[in-house]
Amino acid sequence: MILLFLISFATSILAFLLPNIKNQNKKLLAILFSLFPLLLLLSQHNHWTGSKIDYNWIPPLGIHFHLQIDSLSLLFLYLTAIIIPISLLAVRSSKLAHPNTFYGLVLLLEGLLIGFFTAHDLFLFTIFWEAMLLPLYFIINLWGGPQRYYAALKFLIYMITGSALMVFAVIALFFTSGGSLDLDSLTQTASSAPYSVWLFTIFMLAFAVKTPLFPFHGWLPDAYYQAPTAGTILLSAILSKAGVYGILRIGMELFAPFMKTWGPLLLGLAFAGVFYGAFCAWAQKDFKRLIAYSSFSHVNFVLVGLFVWNTNAHGGAILQAINHGITISALFLVSGWLEERLGSTSLSEGRGLAAYMPVLCWVTFVFVLSSVALPGMNNFVGEVLIFFGLFQSNHWLTALLGISIILSVVYMLRWMQKMYFDSPSPFQERWTDLKTKEILIALPLILLILWIGIYPSPVLKEVKPAAEKTIAIVGTK
Amino acid sequence: MNTTLTSVDFAALSPLLIVLTGALLMLLLETFAQVFTRKYAAIIVFTILAIAIWAACCSPTTNHSLLTPWLRFDLLSRLFSVLFLSIGIAITLLSTRFFQKFQASQGEYYFLLLSSLFGLILVAQSADFLTLFLGIETLSIALYVMCGYMKKWEISHEASIKYFITGAIAAAFLLYGIALIYGAIGTTSFDHLYSKFYGLTTSSDIILFLSGITLVTIGLSFKAAIVPFHTWAPDVYCGAPTPVTAFMAVGTKAGAFIAFIRVFAVALPQFDPFWSRGISILAMITLVYANIVALRQVQLRRFFAYSGISHAGFLLIPLAAGTADSIQALVFYIVVYTIATLGAFTVLAFLDHRQEGVTLNDLKGLYRRSPLLSLLFTLCLLTLAGIPPTAGFFAKFYLLKTAFQVKYYLLVIVALLTTIIAAYYYLRMVALMFSDITTENYSPIRSWPAAIVGILSIVSIVVLSIYPTILLNLINFSNK
Repeated sequence: MILLFLISFATSILAFLLPNIKNQNKKLLAILFSLFPLLLLLSQHNHWTGSKIDYNWIPPLGIHFHLQIDSLSLLFLYLTAIIIPISLLAVRSSKLAHPNTFYGLVLLLEGLLIGFFTAHDLFLFTIFWEAMLLPLYFIINLWGGPQRYYAALKFLIYMITGSALMVFAVIALFFTSGGSLDLDSLTQTASSAPYSVWLFTIFMLAFAVKTPLFPFHGWLPDAYYQAPTAGTILLSAILSKAGVYGILRIGMELFAPFMKTWGPLLLGLAFAGVFYGAFCAWAQKDFKRLIAYSSFSHVNFVLVGLFVWNTNAHGGAILQAINHGITISALFLVSGWLEERLGSTSLSEGRGLAAYMPVLCWVTFVFVLSSVALPGMNNFVGEVLIFFGLFQSNHWLTALLGISIILSVVYMLRWMQKMYFDSPSPFQERWTDLKTKEILIALPLILLILWIGIYPSPVLKEVKPAAEKTIAIVGTK
Repeated sequence: MNTTLTSVDFAALSPLLIVLTGALLMLLLETFAQVFTRKYAAIIVFTILAIAIWAACCSPTTNHSLLTPWLRFDLLSRLFSVLFLSIGIAITLLSTRFFQKFQASQGEYYFLLLSSLFGLILVAQSADFLTLFLGIETLSIALYVMCGYMKKWEISHEASIKYFITGAIAAAFLLYGIALIYGAIGTTSFDHLYSKFYGLTTSSDIILFLSGITLVTIGLSFKAAIVPFHTWAPDVYCGAPTPVTAFMAVGTKAGAFIAFIRVFAVALPQFDPFWSRGISILAMITLVYANIVALRQVQLRRFFAYSGISHAGFLLIPLAAGTADSIQALVFYIVVYTIATLGAFTVLAFLDHRQEGVTLNDLKGLYRRSPLLSLLFTLCLLTLAGIPPTAGFFAKFYLLKTAFQVKYYLLVIVALLTTIIAAYYYLRMVALMFSDITTENYSPIRSWPAAIVGILSIVSIVVLSIYPTILLNLINFSNK
């Protein structure tokens, strides 16, 4: 456990200090480094649940360095451990300025995320929550597109504003629980704290900005669009999941009664987000923006699942959070490849690309199908569970939500159609198709998508206790 | 009365005596061996201060009846002596290259620096209003001269005069306040303040005492640059030579707050709810005003004046709270602020190349020119902004916790909201450093002494961020 926590920080420092070797080797090393946590997780898969570190870190303030893994943590740890190597694979090593800093920052982020997903002390949770912004900020700021400074600063200010009052809530909980910030003991006391509705609001605001829940998404289009491909993958696949995890960990476990009563309002916002994102995606003339908005729409879909109060919906949301992480990073990966080949992300730039790059076309197609939740793909399982849960509480809303799936098919296939299947214009240069190396990167993602789609029970086995835990907490009160 | 001082008593006084002797030595050396001092002044001062730190760490305490009415030899004074002497060392290291570059003579500068350190230590050890005033004046008079030390800089003239006039007014306030307190209770000793105040019966005496306290508060607020008594700070910081600005930003600030601690947190803990409320209002005004004005600053010495004012607002929070652990929180914050500000000024010392000092434009593209400097500056700015996981976050957390404990919810919320503004302007500077537009291509100076300060501040920020308990245990005043 301590190894799992420290390994990324150690490798991050190593990456910063890498000697002057060829860029390609640096990339290889960084990817190897980033795989350590995944290997660690896999090697002792059955023993992780329940393992913990508990160290009395700052005794005068009653703060413990308490990390603990349960099934919810484990799922998100896997997601982190899978996405980070993929984001590194998306980097074109020959064109990367300051490679040491870049790899160091990504690995640092991995370490912080591992800390965040396992933190079992509210103070630690807050620290990791805020700290993970900094590497992302630098990634956007140093390696992003033409308007990166603006996008990066906007991103950071949104985030800091969202969570500025979190410290207030943490201190308030500290005093109501009698001087402990341990999440277990807070579960008992948090929702009976004075003004606890406000504390709940403060936390939800922070999570809503980071996920982002509609209408707190102002930072999203710029940040996603200006970030380099690797950065966009990190933002969409992991950072948004940090928000989801926050809602699950803090919202559901500490403030379950409010979560339940406020559910309808939040559900409304999430619905608005699903449709707003979908329509925006439809209207885009740029495929990176299109995917960014589709990601926004799908994340809100996940939130719909969270805000419906039953086990099916929660389980679906947790699973869908993982699925979305996988699918969206695959889509941004493809978008990065297209951008490299076309030199732009505009939809009008390339037409009829299928004739020139058939393999890329088929790879994209698989990912698009996964995104629109074709049966047999990973998203299908998650979305069906959410529908199932929602149906138990409201039939009409379920039907309404069904329309969003149609919308997602519309905008995604519109993109495919324009990009790949239009009649190719005669003036187009010859593009190179996917290289073997790139196919090898895409292959594990395709396999993962199909595996969860066709045989989801190993994943569901982990999802189930996590989803039941949230419901059980309310039951005991 | 026993009037003979033994060697133990002298040992207890040794930090003060060493600094004083050192100061006089520097003055003599400058008079008789100018060429020698120009070369070796910094090394000599460094040695003197190092010895003084050692003396401050292991000096025994004494309860000689001639000393204890005037000076305290407790943990707080020892800690602050060490802090001030370390600041002195850092300023010395930053100064050497600066004065070589701008070709100003050095001997008397170090005399002034040592004198002001003497004043600061005296403030930290004071057990009576008279020693407190003596310390503050020794500090201030030396600083007036230091501000105008670059005789050919026009902005320095303005700064020095402005500082002198406002400083004199502040001293008048302070002294008048002390006089009123003496008039009310018949003593200037801190030990008797609390009991005498509660022994007051006639309402005229109480009014006299409270007016005195108010005037003392105003006098100290001038020194700490708290809104609305801050107006001197931006001009003076802007006009003074960079090392002197650094010294004012950390030394004077810490000095003013140790005075606050001595008079209010130690001698008069929570003596009057009205005073606490007033301080909390001052803190809110300071936080809001300083943070908003800091947004518009482009000259960095001026910027750090406003940043310093806003941190003074933060430092008022535990004073207003006055809980059991508020001194610990205050001291922790001062130490973190000192380290980070010194680190930031180290960067400015490296970049400084003209009278106007460093501006925001000079930061553009610093990362390409000097990655290490930009790393140091980033770390310091993040600490000042209080962004986790830096030690600045713990410091702010701890302060706000004390305020929360006494239910100053509004204060906590205002403080947190102003940190958003603060985060914006600190991070904007970080963003500038990492941009790739380079305006002009002068390279930073090379200076080993200043580099040492930089490295030390990086190391201490990292250590404090990972394991703040070290410092917290050191400043645990509750069970001495």
